[in-house]
Amino acid sequence: MRHRTAGNRVVALGFLLIAAFGLAGCGDSKTGSSSLPVKISPKVAEDGTATLRRGNGAEPGTLDPHQARGVPAANIIRDMYEGLVSIAPDGETEPGDAESWQTSDDQLTYTFTLRANARWSDGSPVTATDYVYSLRRAVDPATASPYAQLHLPIVNAREIITGSAEPDTLGIKALDERHLQISLTAPTPYFIGTLAHPSSFPVKRSAVEQYGNAFTQPGNAVTNGAYTMASWRVNSMIALTRNSQYWGNDKTAIERVEFYPIADANSELSRYQAGELDWGGVIPPSRLETVKKAIPSQFHAVPTLGVYYYGLNLRNPPFKDAPKLRRALSMAIDRQVIVDKITRGEEVPAYGWIPSVVEGYDSAEFSWAKLTDDKREAKAQQLYAEAGYSADKPLAVEIRYNSNEGNKKIASVIAAMWRGVLGADVTLRNEEWKVYLDSVRQGSDTEAFRMAWIGDYNDPNTFFELMNSSFGLNATGYDSPAYDRLQEQSAHMPDGSERNDVMHAAEAQLLADSPVIPIYFYTSKYLIKPYVTGFAGNPLDIYYSKDLAIEP
Amino acid sequence: MLGYAARRLLGAIPTLFILLTLAFVMMRAAPGGPFDMDRELAPEVRANLEAKYHLDEPLIAQYGRYLWDVLHFDFGPSFQYRDVTVNQLIEAGFPVSAMLGAASLAFALIFGIPLGMAAALRQNRAIDYLAMTTAMLGISIPNFVLAPLMILVFAVYNDWLPAGGLGGWQGYVLPVVALGTAMMAYVARLVRASTIEVMRSNYVRTARAKGLSSMRVICVHALPASLTPVVSFLGPAAAGIITGSVVIETIFGIPGLGQFFVIGALNRDYTLVMGVVLFYGVLIVVFNLLVDLLYGWLDPRVAY
Repeated sequence: MRHRTAGNRVVALGFLLIAAFGLAGCGDSKTGSSSLPVKISPKVAEDGTATLRRGNGAEPGTLDPHQARGVPAANIIRDMYEGLVSIAPDGETEPGDAESWQTSDDQLTYTFTLRANARWSDGSPVTATDYVYSLRRAVDPATASPYAQLHLPIVNAREIITGSAEPDTLGIKALDERHLQISLTAPTPYFIGTLAHPSSFPVKRSAVEQYGNAFTQPGNAVTNGAYTMASWRVNSMIALTRNSQYWGNDKTAIERVEFYPIADANSELSRYQAGELDWGGVIPPSRLETVKKAIPSQFHAVPTLGVYYYGLNLRNPPFKDAPKLRRALSMAIDRQVIVDKITRGEEVPAYGWIPSVVEGYDSAEFSWAKLTDDKREAKAQQLYAEAGYSADKPLAVEIRYNSNEGNKKIASVIAAMWRGVLGADVTLRNEEWKVYLDSVRQGSDTEAFRMAWIGDYNDPNTFFELMNSSFGLNATGYDSPAYDRLQEQSAHMPDGSERNDVMHAAEAQLLADSPVIPIYFYTSKYLIKPYVTGFAGNPLDIYYSKDLAIEP
Repeated sequence: MLGYAARRLLGAIPTLFILLTLAFVMMRAAPGGPFDMDRELAPEVRANLEAKYHLDEPLIAQYGRYLWDVLHFDFGPSFQYRDVTVNQLIEAGFPVSAMLGAASLAFALIFGIPLGMAAALRQNRAIDYLAMTTAMLGISIPNFVLAPLMILVFAVYNDWLPAGGLGGWQGYVLPVVALGTAMMAYVARLVRASTIEVMRSNYVRTARAKGLSSMRVICVHALPASLTPVVSFLGPAAAGIITGSVVIETIFGIPGLGQFFVIGALNRDYTLVMGVVLFYGVLIVVFNLLVDLLYGWLDPRVAY
């Protein structure tokens, strides 16, 4: 035994030495504290050209603008391709490939003038015909684009998606090389916004036809954005390099952009600290507090167009025909506690359905939003009683969520609130992601379930249409003719106070019916090295590398 | 011996067929599909996608189509990584995993065998305790703890090695150590146990009695015999390690094969998962055969 402890001591001593030696060496090119040292080491070549290294979450499934989904793919696609319109660093819509456009008096016809110097990376001009081909491809059932619905405002898009019309009947035509006309079925105030989405981007017909699925690969890709494909190693790194043919090439400051698909948040943080990344987009929740304290100037939290909510299944009891119960449950949740104690990323408590950062709309909010906690809880209890539940006859309800640490914490807290405030009998059930999605879609045995919705463009309609009974993605089974009418009306009105009133009425109707319980509005969290300039947070969460610069 | 090898390989064909069929059935039995996503697809779009990938056909037709393609060494398009085929993914991922795995294996053997030998020859002395404590630590510290610790010390607090990626040889050091340490520890323990046994055997005693130098006794007479358990451990271990480690690949951002298996299964990427399963299956069959052949070479008592 004596020997064994001696051995242990030697080993322990060794480890201590390594640790002490290892932790001691802190150079001067670092910021942060000893608990979170961060290396400041921009990658600038001898000739002064800079490389931006972006942590990019997951490996993109595809870089085909018409088939891609998810933020990681969109980040790369926006650097490679550009649509008729683009998004400025502050989130405003700005001209892209089109230098200007006119709208007809009836708001049904848009005529775009393309830039004379808009070119593909192979040097050929970007023409109106390229856009005609691309938008037809985006709605063609053969492409099976996940974002095909985004183009529904265009004449015949619905018929083409469902297969009852040919793609060449789409309401888009090339007047000449540089003039493009798009016809809509009804006035659509957010139409221009949808043109900044990747599924509206042009692709080069010759590349698609020659290479098929591989048309985005290095060597094959022909792009019209600020960058073009340089190399792609699955699960390792995608590198883009300056597209010297891009019309705005003079303004591009960064020569090369590397996207690292780092799925694990802790790994991304280590690599950011080690000076291997200039930009990180996922921060492990458990390290948020440390990050905010140690490197406040590198931490950015930006409110975005996204809502975390609980859906209630209105097809079955207990939520079928029970608006009072649904309101009581919504009211019993203390949202402030959830954002302060659990998510802790400066999220915004949701007292309405539409994020307040959305453009051109004053959100409605719950009538009880301003009540004190005691009054709010008393009101919730009163509604709960009116709905026919009591201590003797408590509500039995299941919260279902997909297996994830954050979802689990939130579900536990909400369950505790429903138990504590109302006396409900709450059970929790988690399912693996795909199993969960399947259950929610089927909707046969779900009761309350966790969901999220991220807006596709900066207009309230991207949230409103989700709850339309005919939208097809409405997992709650909410079916209110009054709401549908208001939503459809607002979708086709010109922007202005009148539209604002209609949307307000729609949101108020939704909140009163409470088929969903909004919990909080998302923020995106970024770590950005001090030498990266040009970052301005925007609610669309869109950051073009061309708008950034590296200034060591 | 060639005949034996040929018989073994032929015998593997039904095994692989059963493996493939089971994988197909299990993947399809799992709820949810490749097109269930956080942003639910409109029903028309979902129908278009399913038609495009033939998921709207009866299962048996899909199975037949898949088998036919596999017979032509075509694992099909990946559902998740749509710009590439499963063949391309395996071709890209396997060399990385194999390189990393081979290096870890070499690391484990180069350090594990001498460590075990030293411990056995100095049994119950300080060096034995030191070696076995190290081995114990190596086995009991999981690599998902060891790896981040090493990243902290070698990459974050110091500039010695990169925190991730495979830029140059430096990128391999931490993953190789993280992946190889537990195996090194295991090898050391195996070698120690078998060496102690071998050193007490009659033929070693005979060799000593004949007045051979102790170096010669150990290297020529004892070592081959004490390596037999290591060899039998090596077969499955090599197949496992060379096909990639999800944990290490995820932590270090290494583009190996291991991640595809897990990410593919989570995403219901049917073709990718089945392609990787079949590939694993073939590798394991081959490695087990190699180990059996190696036995015959190391131990004259084994005959085919």
